[in-house]
Amino acid sequence: MALPLPPGLTPPEIAFLCEMELVTVIPRQRLEGLELLGGRLPPLNPPHRTPLPLWLALLLKRQRRANILPPPWLAPHSLTAILDHETNKEEGFSPPPRLPPLAASSTALAFSPPFLASSTAEAAPDALPYHWLEIGEMLLEAASDDFEEPDSVRKLLRGLREVRMAKLRKGVELLYADGGIQLNGVGAMEVSEGRAFVTGVIDNLRKIGASREQQRKDRDREDRENGYPSTADYDDDEMEMQ
Amino acid sequence: MGSYYDVDAILTDAQKVPCTFELTVPGLGYIEGNMSGDVKQGSKVELPLWLGEMLALSQSLNTSSLVTLDPPSALAPRVLNALKADPKTVDLRALAPHFYNLGARILDLWDEEEMIEVLSDTFKARAAVIADQAHNPRGALGEGADFMRGLDENERQLFRAAHDSAKAVRAWMADIKKK
Repeated sequence: MALPLPPGLTPPEIAFLCEMELVTVIPRQRLEGLELLGGRLPPLNPPHRTPLPLWLALLLKRQRRANILPPPWLAPHSLTAILDHETNKEEGFSPPPRLPPLAASSTALAFSPPFLASSTAEAAPDALPYHWLEIGEMLLEAASDDFEEPDSVRKLLRGLREVRMAKLRKGVELLYADGGIQLNGVGAMEVSEGRAFVTGVIDNLRKIGASREQQRKDRDREDRENGYPSTADYDDDEMEMQ
Repeated sequence: MGSYYDVDAILTDAQKVPCTFELTVPGLGYIEGNMSGDVKQGSKVELPLWLGEMLALSQSLNTSSLVTLDPPSALAPRVLNALKADPKTVDLRALAPHFYNLGARILDLWDEEEMIEVLSDTFKARAAVIADQAHNPRGALGEGADFMRGLDENERQLFRAAHDSAKAVRAWMADIKKK
């Protein structure tokens, strides 16, 4: 109540985080490499493709110093294939991009979305990355002339968004007070949009089932005191093995 | 459940439940509108949940409690059957403004496995419709108006939450177009 913002990130915050993703640009002007706090940026030599963070790519694009190469999953035929997958499969979302194999050395860090090159020209064409909606919208807005068919891409993105949000809402009907909802492959913006609703539903279901939950806890405690193995522990073990 | 200052919890506690007095209480006639008389044994009175609960659970007099609580009319078998038949057409707000909270409180007092099932299924089925209405800009005014009027307080909060997050994403999309 005291905080003006709901829990979780707001859409502008997610878009801000998304600007860290690398995209491929084709520079039109030379630029020396930049030493920034976030790391070193490669020098730009005109006809050579270079990966740059989205924020810098958008800035250069607006100043007409570079062209952005849209990631392969933003091509109309890949989007059509993903949309077909989404509409034909009733359950689950289209899978996220496969993670690259971990480096053998033990010091290597595990990869996670902002540090994966999931939106450069070399990204996988058949999977939507974590920030698909934000990158798609921002590129269409700032660099629509770099797309071959911006209008059909825009239409496909809109369609994908509708289908996936409908699935997220339908998933709620399968929820139980102590159950979960499968969110594999759901993007950051979709999580943000669905968060308030899904958590609200779970909170209320828990409130309704609170007496049953209390009963189960009491029973488990009695069982433990009597020396029987508690059923709750069994559940935990199963969860870990899955 | 809920904090001391939670207005919704206070309002839930203020909802009336039917109680039957098991004993004759002298001088308490004013709660059934009889200013100077006594409350007779066996008389039925509608008391707020907090008062009824306290009287029903207090067992100082020879282990027999002062009143017995009856399930409120909002959770009568007739209503539960209607919810089982079609959760979407029941006007929960007319039954009780805090329908689910009342149900949760009642379930604390009685063990009713079936009521938990019915209420959970009702909530889930209605939540799906609420989500659809929240994403449909004309839903709340047009064809969905009757349904929206029948939402209880928790469902209204859910609608608001879903509506606000959808609005925030739309606002962001409109925002990047301005730059």
